[in-house]
Amino acid sequence: MTRHIWWIILPALVLLIGLLAYGLTSNPKHIPSPLIGKAFPTLQGQDLNGNPVTLGLVDNKPTIVNVWASWCAACRSEHNVLLRGARRYGDDISLVAINYKDELPNARRWLSRLGDPYQWSFHDLSGRAGLELGVYGVPETFFINKKGIIVEKISAPLTDKMFADGVALMFE
Amino acid sequence: MKRSIKTVLTSVLLLSISSLVFSGEVVEDPLERRVLDIASKLRCTVCQNQPVAESNSGLAKDMRAVIKEKLQQGKEEKEIIQFFVDRYGDYVLLAPPKTGSGLPIWLLPPIFLLCALLFAVVAMKSGREKKVTTLAPLSETDQERIRHARKAMDDSGEDK
Repeated sequence: MTRHIWWIILPALVLLIGLLAYGLTSNPKHIPSPLIGKAFPTLQGQDLNGNPVTLGLVDNKPTIVNVWASWCAACRSEHNVLLRGARRYGDDISLVAINYKDELPNARRWLSRLGDPYQWSFHDLSGRAGLELGVYGVPETFFINKKGIIVEKISAPLTDKMFADGVALMFE
Repeated sequence: MKRSIKTVLTSVLLLSISSLVFSGEVVEDPLERRVLDIASKLRCTVCQNQPVAESNSGLAKDMRAVIKEKLQQGKEEKEIIQFFVDRYGDYVLLAPPKTGSGLPIWLLPPIFLLCALLFAVVAMKSGREKKVTTLAPLSETDQERIRHARKAMDDSGEDK
């Protein structure tokens, strides 16, 4: 009898240890987005100069929507990646932004000092557009294919490789 | 001396009465209560394990504002929670869903408990049923050896 019981206990123990190992090694800050595979919602608002803009597919080209703020330190390290990406892929894609919970003067100063890789930045002072998109921190980046479907969402500062991989997904 | 004690006592009395006048009447806003009810079921996505109802983070405040707005629009609790799940995934729920990938979380603990109980019952039963094996009677040679040993002990005892 006791020998049979080990056939139950051992696999159960292995399973539990496996689950524990998985839980301990996975990143608790990474939240898989339920928005991947869904259409990017159209959101209307204003850019940093008060002009009306519409978030979604821009100029009918695959579009990257980057969420940034001047108060976000990680965005600064990401900024050069975006500048390089805009230079490299600018003809084939649209790169726009959501300026998240930011004061206008600060946001404008940031872009004039560091360079502006975006066609425009949607000014989301209240954070409601961000909430509509499941944004929980900055920087975040959405990659939208030509059909307007979100193919990737990165909730971390982009690297050149992540940018290139995202662009590749947009053209799949 | 007596006079100063009197003044102190009267002023304390007056102050304690005045507090009744100045303190506002506390009335619970039923809308706020519903907002907090729903917010307590949602995880604040930036603080990992704190409900939206308790967090002071900017995002949690925004989420509470959205909940309030949707309640005012006459939305049901279910719809409001679904709104957040659609955008932030099941992660936003403090209690995992009872379907799909959340199912094992709900099912496994009772299954483990049941297994443990079963194991305990079986172990106790098998312990009780174990028979005490009776020993075979000693052979003649063994008995002879015992007698011999006893005799040796008695002899050595006499020496003392």
